[in-house]
Amino acid sequence: MTRNATPKLGAYAGLAALGLLAALATGLPELVAVAAPFALAAAIGLVQVRRPQLNAVVTLERERVLEGEEICVAVDLDVGVGAERVELLLELPPGLTTAAGENPRLLHLADQERRELSYRVDCARWGAYGVGRLYLRAHDTFGLFNHEAVLDQRQALKVYPKEEAVRSLLRPFETQVFSGNHVARQKGEGIEFADLRPFVPGDRVRHVNWRASARRGELWVNEHHPERNADVIVFLDSFAEARRGGRSTLDPALRAAASLVSRYLRQKDRVGFVSFGGLLNWLLPSTGMRQLYRIVDAMLDTQIVLSYAWKEIDVIPQRTLPPHALVIAVTPLLDDRSANALLNLRGRGFDLVVIEIAPLSYLQPPRGELQELADRLWRLRREAVRGRFERAGVAVALWGDASSLAAALEEVSAYRRHARLARA
Amino acid sequence: MAYSTAAGDRLPELVFGIGAAGGAIAAVALVGRWHSLLPWGLAGVGAGYAVYLSLRPGTVDPRSPLIAAVLFVAAELGFWSLERRSARAKRAVLVRRLVLLVVGALAAALVGSILLVAASGTGGGMALEAVGVAAAVVTLTVVVLLVVRTDPERR
Repeated sequence: MTRNATPKLGAYAGLAALGLLAALATGLPELVAVAAPFALAAAIGLVQVRRPQLNAVVTLERERVLEGEEICVAVDLDVGVGAERVELLLELPPGLTTAAGENPRLLHLADQERRELSYRVDCARWGAYGVGRLYLRAHDTFGLFNHEAVLDQRQALKVYPKEEAVRSLLRPFETQVFSGNHVARQKGEGIEFADLRPFVPGDRVRHVNWRASARRGELWVNEHHPERNADVIVFLDSFAEARRGGRSTLDPALRAAASLVSRYLRQKDRVGFVSFGGLLNWLLPSTGMRQLYRIVDAMLDTQIVLSYAWKEIDVIPQRTLPPHALVIAVTPLLDDRSANALLNLRGRGFDLVVIEIAPLSYLQPPRGELQELADRLWRLRREAVRGRFERAGVAVALWGDASSLAAALEEVSAYRRHARLARA
Repeated sequence: MAYSTAAGDRLPELVFGIGAAGGAIAAVALVGRWHSLLPWGLAGVGAGYAVYLSLRPGTVDPRSPLIAAVLFVAAELGFWSLERRSARAKRAVLVRRLVLLVVGALAAALVGSILLVAASGTGGGMALEAVGVAAAVVTLTVVVLLVVRTDPERR
């Protein structure tokens, strides 16, 4: 604890000295009586000052919560040497706010006392936080000294993004070899009817289509489409964001990414993650609940880092982007680097879908002729970028405040169905 | 400034003026939250009292312990209002602080009385001497308690 003298100490010592000097100069004993309390207060304050001894243990109710939930933070104070008044502040990082309970607090702590304090914290924004740093300022009885200390008892708190409602997922064009929920284009063991063919030795009797066999006078068997899983890569653009007040395009982007990852993993697909921006982050595709936590934990570290370095898609390891994977890009299309990287992916034959997070609601409306002209030019430029994607056969769906993620995905699905028909 | 009226015809304006200047400086310090200015305001008020005393006939002013207590309380309240307030004080903390303030004011008056009696050498009779002895005992007890509390071996 660092000790600091307050201005009051100097003031009292000065007033006492002034009074006593005046008493000596004027020979008035009353001035001694007037100066004496200040002298005594300063002297007693200097003699009785003690350095407080405090230990704190911070406990979080849970380590993982969803965005918007509240948790209880308990602070157990173990007082060795107390103080007359102690100001205690629990530091809450941006994104967390106090829902109930005062913060900071002013307490009187007696010697050898144990005190339990409780705070309800509202986890308003996703992220990985360290909660539990305490700032202390203790005042002595006479207010002549204060002691300050920082107790770092931070515990990790992970606030996961809220999932967006998704009705149906995008169907990848290509599937992989393992069992899953997608109907493959190949023929094999499955439930979905694919075709009829003549019976050959080795075919199972239960596959015989008796009606067709009766009509043709020879045995015909059903062929099916097998159910296979697919590789899905969620591509998060973290080059730039549009921000207004406490809202940012990164928030809905992350929620959409988390929702898609969760849903695809639930249907046994292999899901990978790429955060492409100033800071590059990636996770190889895998399955299961562990992969979900890995990806969401990686997402929590996503932040917009200003960078002028031109990055191509080559910086991402090849194994992160398996061939025939469905790549779902969630991007505000604010940076040319991400648009070029995605078009590069499309050029390499990847099945690409773009969900554009509309940045318009995060921008200040244009004021004046010049700003309106700049705004129109900027919108035209965005239309041109969307046009480049559409010419490359990439579905681009705009997701704004007025619509839901489910509606954006439905728009993409309809585009892909149309595109598939045209190809066939 | 009340004692300026008691100065009779001996330059009450001077006494009032010095006291008022001190009070004004103290008020400015409180409004502007300037810690370093407040002691000057209090010194100004004390200077007004000193000027009043110098204009009186040669007897000791028996109200000086009261003046000491009032000035001490004013200083305490002034510095209290200048403190940075990061948190709202709980009722118990507030009550403790007020009790300490009242005890401080009484102690200031007692100490002033003892010093005045000792300095003037006047006998006040059995009652006054009893009060003086009691004040001395209380003061000694407080000092002993504080010394014991701050004993390094007990920390």
